[in-house]
Amino acid sequence: MIKDGDFVAIFNSIHRVMEAERLLKDKQLKILLIPAPRALAADCGLAIRYAEDVRGEVEGTLAAAGLLPRDLYRKNGDSFEKIGEEQ
Amino acid sequence: MNNLDVRGMACPLPVVQVKRALEAAQGAELRVLLDDGAPRENVKRFAQGRGYRVQEEQLEGGFAFTITGPGTPTAREAAPAAAVAAGPTVMLIGSDRMGDGPEDLGRLLMKNFIMTLLDLSELPDRIFFVNTGVLLAVEGSEVVETLNELGNRGVEVLSCGICLDFFKKKESLAAGGVTNMFTIAETMLNARSVLRP
Repeated sequence: MIKDGDFVAIFNSIHRVMEAERLLKDKQLKILLIPAPRALAADCGLAIRYAEDVRGEVEGTLAAAGLLPRDLYRKNGDSFEKIGEEQ
Repeated sequence: MNNLDVRGMACPLPVVQVKRALEAAQGAELRVLLDDGAPRENVKRFAQGRGYRVQEEQLEGGFAFTITGPGTPTAREAAPAAAVAAGPTVMLIGSDRMGDGPEDLGRLLMKNFIMTLLDLSELPDRIFFVNTGVLLAVEGSEVVETLNELGNRGVEVLSCGICLDFFKKKESLAAGGVTNMFTIAETMLNARSVLRP
């Protein structure tokens, strides 16, 4: 479900993740709401997955809406590399 | 030795057929003829994941697997016989939403539930989709990829034909197969448990 190099954005509430999904889908960006991987703590248990090719647009859209994720990770082999910091 | 030919079958049918044959074989050796590519990879992963040994042999226009067990029993299979009744574990998904409440939350929960199944070691034997549940198995659903992967792991994914017809989605089924109420009712009556998320 999460390929190597994919980004996994963790949000700090169900309302934020649902709003982020709606916003990104309205823009027809290729994202998917997924169960947050067990290795990554997520209060609401959900995350948004996207690939490198849409990263700029996804994060730009979220930033403009004040919906940046709490944490951002990149899948790297069997683990997740943290590349985001708490907002 | 039992023999099975799944050549020409589209995924996940080869895995489903092999799963049934292994269950019926009760530990006896099984020889399977199958196509290269996804069927070969999926059947191998499924069998090895269950603790079976797989010997491959390349043939003209395909492969032959000799599958020998016994497989590693799952927790359910390892439970004392008296503790579990015979029959499959069936999941009946009668809606594209989980629980009562806001529609968007219900849809999100159902999607999340189905995707979470991939992380579990114990899977149902069959998942039936009825009513708006069938909308989860058609083109445009975000869980199609997940349902196909469940199929590759031996879960039979089946949608109610009447329901697909009602929603005019017969031509856009994208995961699993079509079934009828006779099969749904009979399977539920013979199931060791029926789960309704």
